[in-house]
Amino acid sequence: MDERNFTFMFYGLAAAWAILAAYVVYLGAREGKIRRQLENLRRMLEERDKT
Amino acid sequence: MGTRNKLIYLLAALGGLLVIRNLYVILLQFPDEAAQGAIYRIMFFHVPCWFICFTAFLAAGVASILYLWKRRMVFDNVAVSAVEIGVVFTATGLVTGSIWARVIWGIWWTWDPRLTWAFITLLVYLGYLMLRRAIDDPTERAKNSAVLCIFAFVSVVITYKAIDWWRTQHPGAVLSFRTGGGNIEPAWEMMLLWNFLALGLIAAAVLLIRLNQEQVRREVDGLRRRVHEL
Amino acid sequence: MRFLRQAGTIAVKDLKAELRTKEAINASLSFALVILLLFSFAFDPTAEQTREISGGLLWLVFAFAGALILNRSFSREQANDCLDILVASPVSGAALFIGKAVANAILILAVEVVCLPVFGVFYNITWTKRPWWLLLVLVLATWGLTVIGTMFSALTVNLRLRELMLPVLVYPMMIPSLMAAMQLTTLLIAGEPVTGEDIVWLRLLIGFDIIFTALGIGLVETVLVN
Repeated sequence: MDERNFTFMFYGLAAAWAILAAYVVYLGAREGKIRRQLENLRRMLEERDKT
Repeated sequence: MGTRNKLIYLLAALGGLLVIRNLYVILLQFPDEAAQGAIYRIMFFHVPCWFICFTAFLAAGVASILYLWKRRMVFDNVAVSAVEIGVVFTATGLVTGSIWARVIWGIWWTWDPRLTWAFITLLVYLGYLMLRRAIDDPTERAKNSAVLCIFAFVSVVITYKAIDWWRTQHPGAVLSFRTGGGNIEPAWEMMLLWNFLALGLIAAAVLLIRLNQEQVRREVDGLRRRVHEL
Repeated sequence: MRFLRQAGTIAVKDLKAELRTKEAINASLSFALVILLLFSFAFDPTAEQTREISGGLLWLVFAFAGALILNRSFSREQANDCLDILVASPVSGAALFIGKAVANAILILAVEVVCLPVFGVFYNITWTKRPWWLLLVLVLATWGLTVIGTMFSALTVNLRLRELMLPVLVYPMMIPSLMAAMQLTTLLIAGEPVTGEDIVWLRLLIGFDIIFTALGIGLVETVLVN
């Protein structure tokens, strides 16, 4: 019982941080995607302005 | 590096340090609880997670009201960011609670009013995030999701009050401002509040990141419209 | 007074339009009967067990069948830009909302009144032990479902994915009223009085009706006006 009690405590804490970390990773991925889109659009507009 | 980025790093660093300090005290200095053993330590995260979740949804509700009143897009940004953070912390709250329940109650889940309402709240706010994806026009999206966000907050209130309204299997309130004190060891109550602060700092940092993102996204949308016009 | 007259006009208009075509109510009624039939496959209905879960079964039927009516409530006005004209007319958004909600509530109540005896016959249930209490619960809970449904029908009317989004949004929000209605209906069908601890369900039902009606009246104008 005590053994399991202890492992489950760690599972719980690990799970909490894992979810938070997963969200932050997801945020980072989205950040990259949005930045790339922004770059692409800016470049497109610049090229249009030149011509 | 802009001031806002500095602030994000500062908040995250403070939150992180505080979490490490709290973990040290919780794991190494606090004794096991008499009845529950080691597992009760999950509560130091479970309970603050729900505080953050309630705070985030409250902030989203207030931001939604402000949006409908002032019609400034920044309030819409705050609302969606806060809801996302609220959803993440609802998920952590449910998972940590579930793991605790597996040890103490012997089951992962029971249809107890508090648990049921917490789950409903999660569904309602997931619906909010889905609604946002379904509307293309930014003003229309901001307006309609703000209305939904105000409705959704009813479920948060019910979740919060569920332990008072029904006889639940879920443990009752622990903090002194609700119980009048004496339900919990003072050092543990302080630790709950410390962890609330630590998670709050981290949540605030994430909120600022998310807000930045929402602004950049609006910029992208604006540029895209210009490209289409050309 | 003006408000009530306007709301009344809208309600009568909606009811007339519905009775002329009977589109929504026919669909809703036959859908309700299909679900009632399907339940007989899900479990082997002995009267005793069925009575214990009767509230839950009935309100599931009502919620699913009612959603068909609620779905049509605002989308019906999209043809010929009727909705824009209604919004531009001197009828206030709140009156429009209440009128539509009343019409929907009457239609859903009609479906419920047909379903109850059918349910009683199919599953051998005497549901008439406390008819007036049951009627009260039916009216209160139906109003709760209807205000939320009507509000969300307005909220999603311009959406591409309206048919998909409405159920996802509306059912979780309906749960407060549904939950109370299920508990009370089970009690009343068993013939027990609503006393002691069960009063809390009645209070919740009335409380949610008031809260959601107030939110609906307050917010519907912002939803409808672009």
